[in-house]
Amino acid sequence: MNYSVVIYVLGWIMDIEAACMMLPCLVAAIYGEKEGLGFLYVAVAAALVGTIIVMHKPKDMKFYLKEGFVTTALSWIILSVLGALPFILNDDIPHFTDALFETVSGFTTTGSTILSDVEALSHASLFWRSFTHWIGGMGVLVFLLAILPMAGGSNMNLMKAESPGPSVGKLVPKVRDTAFYLYAIYFVMTVIEVVLLLFGGMNPFEALTISFGTAGTGGLSIWNDSIMSCTVYQQWVIGIFMVLFGVNFTFYFLLISGKIKQAFKIEEVRVYFIIIFVAVTTIAINIYDKIGSLGATIRHSFFQVGSIITTTGYGTADFDTWPALSKTILVMLMFIGACAGSTGGGIKVSRFIVMAKTVRKEIVSFLFPKSVKKIKIEDKVIGHETLRSINVYFMTYIIIFSVSLLLISYENKDMTSNFTAVAATINNIGPGLSKVGPTCNFSCYSAFSKYVFMFDMLAGRLELFPILLLFSPSVWKRKKKVA
Amino acid sequence: MENPFKKNRGLKIIIVGCGKVGNTLVEKLVQEKHDITVIDTNSDLVDRVSETYDVMGIAGNGFSYRVLLDAGINETDVLIAVTESDELNMLCCTIANQVGHCATIARVRNPDYSDELAYLRSKLGISLIINPELETAREIARLLRLPMAEEINAFTKGHAELIKFKLPDGNVLDGSHISDIRNYNSQLLVCGVERSGELVIPDGSFVLRGQDYITFIATPINTQNFFKKIDIDTHQVKNCMIIGGGKSSYYLAKQLTEMNIDVKIVEINMKRCEELSALIPKALIICGDGTDESVLREAGIEEADSVVPLTGLDEENILITLFARQFTAAKVITKIKRSSFHDVIDNLDMGSILYPRYMISETIIGHVRATQNGIGSNIEMLYHIFDNKAEAIEFNTEKNSPVVGKALMELKLKDNLLVACINRNGKIIIPKGDDVIQENDKVVIVTTHTGFKDLKDILK
Repeated sequence: MNYSVVIYVLGWIMDIEAACMMLPCLVAAIYGEKEGLGFLYVAVAAALVGTIIVMHKPKDMKFYLKEGFVTTALSWIILSVLGALPFILNDDIPHFTDALFETVSGFTTTGSTILSDVEALSHASLFWRSFTHWIGGMGVLVFLLAILPMAGGSNMNLMKAESPGPSVGKLVPKVRDTAFYLYAIYFVMTVIEVVLLLFGGMNPFEALTISFGTAGTGGLSIWNDSIMSCTVYQQWVIGIFMVLFGVNFTFYFLLISGKIKQAFKIEEVRVYFIIIFVAVTTIAINIYDKIGSLGATIRHSFFQVGSIITTTGYGTADFDTWPALSKTILVMLMFIGACAGSTGGGIKVSRFIVMAKTVRKEIVSFLFPKSVKKIKIEDKVIGHETLRSINVYFMTYIIIFSVSLLLISYENKDMTSNFTAVAATINNIGPGLSKVGPTCNFSCYSAFSKYVFMFDMLAGRLELFPILLLFSPSVWKRKKKVA
Repeated sequence: MENPFKKNRGLKIIIVGCGKVGNTLVEKLVQEKHDITVIDTNSDLVDRVSETYDVMGIAGNGFSYRVLLDAGINETDVLIAVTESDELNMLCCTIANQVGHCATIARVRNPDYSDELAYLRSKLGISLIINPELETAREIARLLRLPMAEEINAFTKGHAELIKFKLPDGNVLDGSHISDIRNYNSQLLVCGVERSGELVIPDGSFVLRGQDYITFIATPINTQNFFKKIDIDTHQVKNCMIIGGGKSSYYLAKQLTEMNIDVKIVEINMKRCEELSALIPKALIICGDGTDESVLREAGIEEADSVVPLTGLDEENILITLFARQFTAAKVITKIKRSSFHDVIDNLDMGSILYPRYMISETIIGHVRATQNGIGSNIEMLYHIFDNKAEAIEFNTEKNSPVVGKALMELKLKDNLLVACINRNGKIIIPKGDDVIQENDKVVIVTTHTGFKDLKDILK
């Protein structure tokens, strides 16, 4: 492996994180909080180390898939560890495990928390928690690609490891331009939401933090009751934007480049909206008796469905008290997740489309054993390699899921809590059911279980393999010197 | 919406066909920061290219209107068709011309078309047609005319040549300073010396040694003159043995017979031998396996002045070359089609080596850079020299160019750059510090920088 290039990129990551930490410093300055100091110390330290590394640009910038995956995994771990330090320094979250859990949950856009009283935190810390969502939503490396001129064409290997979805398509020929467009779309949509929320009566701090959580499909709120006490208008804005951020960003790119017809032809986006529609309708009918008014029923149903399928995790109602049918649908949506190429997590709609088509093909091949059928999406044949990788992804997913479930089961909690806790972390959602339901949090679990959850969150955000690759010894082998 | 972090805008280029040449083109053009989309029907090839290089890949038929639209032909600046089929390449360019408004480049290699290229170009509206085999043959013929040169690149329509030769041990120049060359001929400029793989851009005090590869620029007459003075034979070869009877062999044999060089072609396929015999009556065609040592000896390889292996396989060509260099005194020129083991090849001491795919990409890149420059091409010629470590480029001088009218020593030139030669209405000037570039001059520069598009790029 080419260590020098991996370290070089990690240096950049530290610099970027240091720059990002200036924002909570600014917030602390505005509100006159001393908590800004913790961020300042960490930022200065990270910037120093980062800059020293970056100044030594390696000669050999060769970047293969292996380096791409390892760099991505390590970047996210470093981001999380550095990001957790201010919480400890400021005494907001005194224990390292808890602080790390909170930060990993932030960067991976999960939104699970171990805090029972969020409102007790300083503004700076709250802002940082939400801002990690925004950074993690589109990915730091994608951002790095947009600003850093990387020599050689293999920087696609970085993007591949960080972008959600079975196959990463470029919007335009260059990785760097693609990364730029993605961030531009992301940024503009976030700004629109902020403006709409400001219009709806939120103060700038609230509008920004809540928008960060929506944009990254994160879900950490600045209030103890998530956003249940927000106005109807605010809930609708947040709900609609959650759903929009769960759409494949190719859709928006096609829209702004004027290819509107082509945009609406994207099969994944269509299926995504159909799933949302069916789920919202079913749940609405199911919970109508409980809530009473039609408007509120639709609003709560839509918000919860949107929040879960996009893996955001905000809540306007405690769905733990809903009937079994509604709860079951929501748990199923947890696994489906958002579109590939969005900021959401989960297994992804496109993978499910392909898997459903594979099953149909298999059934046909039982009826007509000699039949030949290619699986197509939007008139494009899905190659054998892609099919294989989707199947393997699913298998790996189930293995990680089961092992995690087994590991945390020693705590003797009920099955629903354990199952939904793992589902909520590996799919980057946030809240589960029962003991980890929308009104509860993860503080009841032991430190060991929290590390299991952190692993799940990172694995889920980075599409499993980059993190798994870290555990493979052959990755760490050095190049042999020629005698 | 444009990426503000991007400095200079590249061109939007579509390359149809991901073969050897397609790949080399992608490699070179990506370095020049163009936006590239590749199209090929073979999705494996497309995947491989788009995974190795920063380009967009489309699996599909590049001659289809819809696929071209998908690839964004409307906004494309240059389309390059380099698939296996000549006809499809031309068709592709024609379609692209109809749909978009881009410059088109086609590879056409069939000898049947070789005399009609100008006609096809104008009728089909193709900006550039390249024939790799013909270019290779031309290059080989040039080398056979001056056999002691390892490399010859012609500038300003042959008025000036960039020549690389190996200094024999014990030559009069062995151990002398570069500045001493003036005593033999004042009208030449040494551009670079390669010693055991290291390239040096030398100054006057540099001491030459035997086995150095020296590259200089001069007019053909001065070259002859110089070689005569330092006692190196400059006669063109009297005969040539070509092994393999493919398209390049045909082009080469045709040119050599016109230069009154005796040609022998060893070809294994009887039918092809008969064809060749009909096409080039002056040549002696020998039907036999060119990779068989006894066949070669029987055909008289030991008496040959020059040997050119042109079989379809690089490995065979390299073996034949090694054999010929070891057991004969012939000048050997090797063509290498693919082979990525450059370092190994460099260590083999094979003499002159030609890489057709680099030659093609040189031509195309020269054309692309000229296109990028807007109306009228300022680049006349572009060569990659010193194993791709440097470029030699011939520019036209524009009217209001900032380099005009000042003595060279007053211009703030970039480092690692040499103004090698000026062609003023056919008169070749090897410039010194007090020479001045004038309007409409053709100027040859040698530089290790890449991406020069205009003469003014030489300034800091």
